[in-house]
Amino acid sequence: MNPVFRKLQAVNQVLTLCRATPCIQRPVWDSVDKRQYKSMPTHGIGRWRHFIPKEPPKKKKDKHQMKPILAATDTAYGSLSVRVSGHDMTLVEHYSQYIHNLCNRLGIKVAESYALPTKTTEVMLMQEQGTKMFVEAVLKTHQRVVQLSSLDATLCPLFMGVVLKNQPEGVRLSVKEHTEADFHSRFKGRPELEGLMAQINQ
Amino acid sequence: MSSALSRSLCRVLTRHRATISSCRALFLRFRAEPKKKKKVDPRRELVLRERMKKKLKKLEKVPPEFIPVEDLITPAKYLDETRERSAPRLSFEESERRALLLKEWCRYKKNQHMAEVEAVELALEAQREALEELKLESEELYQAALKPDPLLFPFTHEGPAYTPANTKYYAPDGKYNDITKVYTQ
Repeated sequence: MNPVFRKLQAVNQVLTLCRATPCIQRPVWDSVDKRQYKSMPTHGIGRWRHFIPKEPPKKKKDKHQMKPILAATDTAYGSLSVRVSGHDMTLVEHYSQYIHNLCNRLGIKVAESYALPTKTTEVMLMQEQGTKMFVEAVLKTHQRVVQLSSLDATLCPLFMGVVLKNQPEGVRLSVKEHTEADFHSRFKGRPELEGLMAQINQ
Repeated sequence: MSSALSRSLCRVLTRHRATISSCRALFLRFRAEPKKKKKVDPRRELVLRERMKKKLKKLEKVPPEFIPVEDLITPAKYLDETRERSAPRLSFEESERRALLLKEWCRYKKNQHMAEVEAVELALEAQREALEELKLESEELYQAALKPDPLLFPFTHEGPAYTPANTKYYAPDGKYNDITKVYTQ
């Protein structure tokens, strides 16, 4: 037992000697886990990616999603579509742009603004001598649609008034409720799909 | 045995130029065997259905395409670089006159737009004041005023015309044909 005590005493003496002389080369840390470079004041000085707003990952196949059709409430109309159609393309386009700008100014929310396919009409007239018909002219009707998501009932008369006052000649304005059928009419017909569906349902 | 007999009878009858339907009827009557139910039929139907469903799934995976709008596609003949119209050479006075005219037009249109915006603002303010007064008067009428008009839509209006319609106009006989191209996917 005695030699053990003597060894302990010797170790104690050595430890006190160590504590007396301070070590300059290696600084004393609180715990072994703390890394000094993260506590530096300049840590993360070059980071910039966290400033950019995060974008959702882009899907390659973007299915054309229909914007939700709102129903009429107590104070506002539901989704409306303002259709501008005429034979003169410049007038029709400029008028639709004017309506879009007016909606932005008045604070009316515009869901979409698109063009519908052009309708070609053949005008056939009877010949002066005989009963044959001959092609006189080919007329093209251009259509543009401004789809409004909702329209306040208080803004409605003002909006309609301004729009009607600025209507150019030869351009027809038509405002009606937007339906799903209107949305689907913009797509190409798929007779094979419909045929298959009919066959399966039989 | 019975089938062989019926077959021979059939041959005899054909020799005597009997009709095929009577021969067949005779044959069936003489067969006297119960009809065998084909076990493959319901399975074949199921297989066909599955095939059709698979085809449908494949077709449904393809997203629908928009009908192309002719207005937004530049016709090929305008993309030809050989046809080019050079700008006309103007004299100094003419170009000055044009620039000054443009500025006048700009000013005129700006005044028009400002007047319109002001009118809209005034109308909005007047409407707001009126609604406030109505609210003070009676709550019921105020709520009724805020309600949307269900009979307004659908609404159609033709643009104004330069001249009124000619009452004595005799329209020639003819008809309209819709020749819009129909696209299918």
